[in-house]
Amino acid sequence: MLQQIIANTIRILFLVLLQALVVGRINASDGLILPYVYIFALLMLPFQTPAWLVMVISFLTGWLMDYFTGPVGLHTSACVFLGFVIPLVNKFLSPREGYDSTQRPTVQRMGITWYVTYAAICTFFHHGFLFFIEVMRFSDFFYQIAHIFLSSLATLILMVIGQYIIYNTKTTEQ
Amino acid sequence: MKNIVELIKRFYVFLIYLVLQGLALAMLFNNTNYHRAEFIRNSTDWVGGIYSKRANLAQYIKLNDINDELALEIAELRNEQPTSYEVQRFGIDSLVDTLLNQRYFFKTAKVVNATSNREKNYVTLDRGALGGIRPDMGVVAIGGIVGVVRSVSDHYAMVMPVLHSDFKASVKLKKSGYYGSLVWQGGNPGLAELIDIPVTAPVQVGDSIVTTGFSTYYPAGIMVGLVEEIQQANTDTYLLKIRLSVDFRKLNYVMVIEDIRKNEIDSLNNQMEQLDAATDHR
Repeated sequence: MLQQIIANTIRILFLVLLQALVVGRINASDGLILPYVYIFALLMLPFQTPAWLVMVISFLTGWLMDYFTGPVGLHTSACVFLGFVIPLVNKFLSPREGYDSTQRPTVQRMGITWYVTYAAICTFFHHGFLFFIEVMRFSDFFYQIAHIFLSSLATLILMVIGQYIIYNTKTTEQ
Repeated sequence: MKNIVELIKRFYVFLIYLVLQGLALAMLFNNTNYHRAEFIRNSTDWVGGIYSKRANLAQYIKLNDINDELALEIAELRNEQPTSYEVQRFGIDSLVDTLLNQRYFFKTAKVVNATSNREKNYVTLDRGALGGIRPDMGVVAIGGIVGVVRSVSDHYAMVMPVLHSDFKASVKLKKSGYYGSLVWQGGNPGLAELIDIPVTAPVQVGDSIVTTGFSTYYPAGIMVGLVEEIQQANTDTYLLKIRLSVDFRKLNYVMVIEDIRKNEIDSLNNQMEQLDAATDHR
């Protein structure tokens, strides 16, 4: 339990820094593609985390992110929304017998199909909420839609790659 | 009974969601005014510290570009040296004391963080209140205008650059003198828009755009960019696409401008506003 708290805290801090210092500097196609990989930390929260705790953790993570990237409240609100969505998506995608306590939302434990579905839905909700609240106007509608889709895709690809980088080494060690 | 408990449980989560979301949105929509400056004052220092470490690292990679820029700047300064001028004497000399007439002070600062891929971008400088930077000072780079200082902490300053959806500056066509507002609508970080230029104004692609000097942010005549595309916004005004002369994706050093007469102009403006308000009431 304590181990999980420490692991998740470190993961959140590391990914927020990674986002602020490295990934956030990506400027592909004049800002059309802008991945936000720090949500990876929120998607990695164990299935057993209560819904309210997921939202509180998301709130704090978004707040931390906001300190680095401009208007305070932007990432906070998008993350709270994501924190609300994650338990619902988990429930929606759960196997008939439910998750057992050894399962984690990773490619290794749940399979690639399950993980991509889960991550894609969550990423899309988060990015969609974030970009629309950031712009607050619907004039460039198709540009916004492309922005959301391409950025979500970039985030998704980075997250799946991240899963293989982090967890392949660990599982072979065990 | 079990259903009711289940219902309350679900409603409970949703209630917490509403509270947290309300809190987040309240923070977001209080941003536009100066609450933000107060709010992030404490954080700007430690976030700025992290960013400046990163900037130091990244600077090794950029050293070539920085050298080129500095070499250009040296050349420009050498052009302005007294030795570059020929003194011609035509009868009586008038004595102009340039020091007494000085209005703007330039202070250099290093950029430690800058974004250009969002709707509301920010630039962080490594010089703050202790370095004499205050909110509402203009910021320029070697090529042209950068933005306006929004908030400062002791050692760092946050600048709202041209690439910010709330940014607005008074600029004019250098050739004809017609003026309008420079705005940025997101998207391409190299292109801004100039609005409110009347269709009667002569405009050509490639015309220079410079600052007017109406505000207390920038002196008159500072380069902004070149006209790249001419569109008609409505029957009366043009919408000009401006290729900005500063590349916000590789900002290194900037100069913060202090307007010595800012207080004088501001108090005059306030007086006028009070007078206007008084006449309105009458």
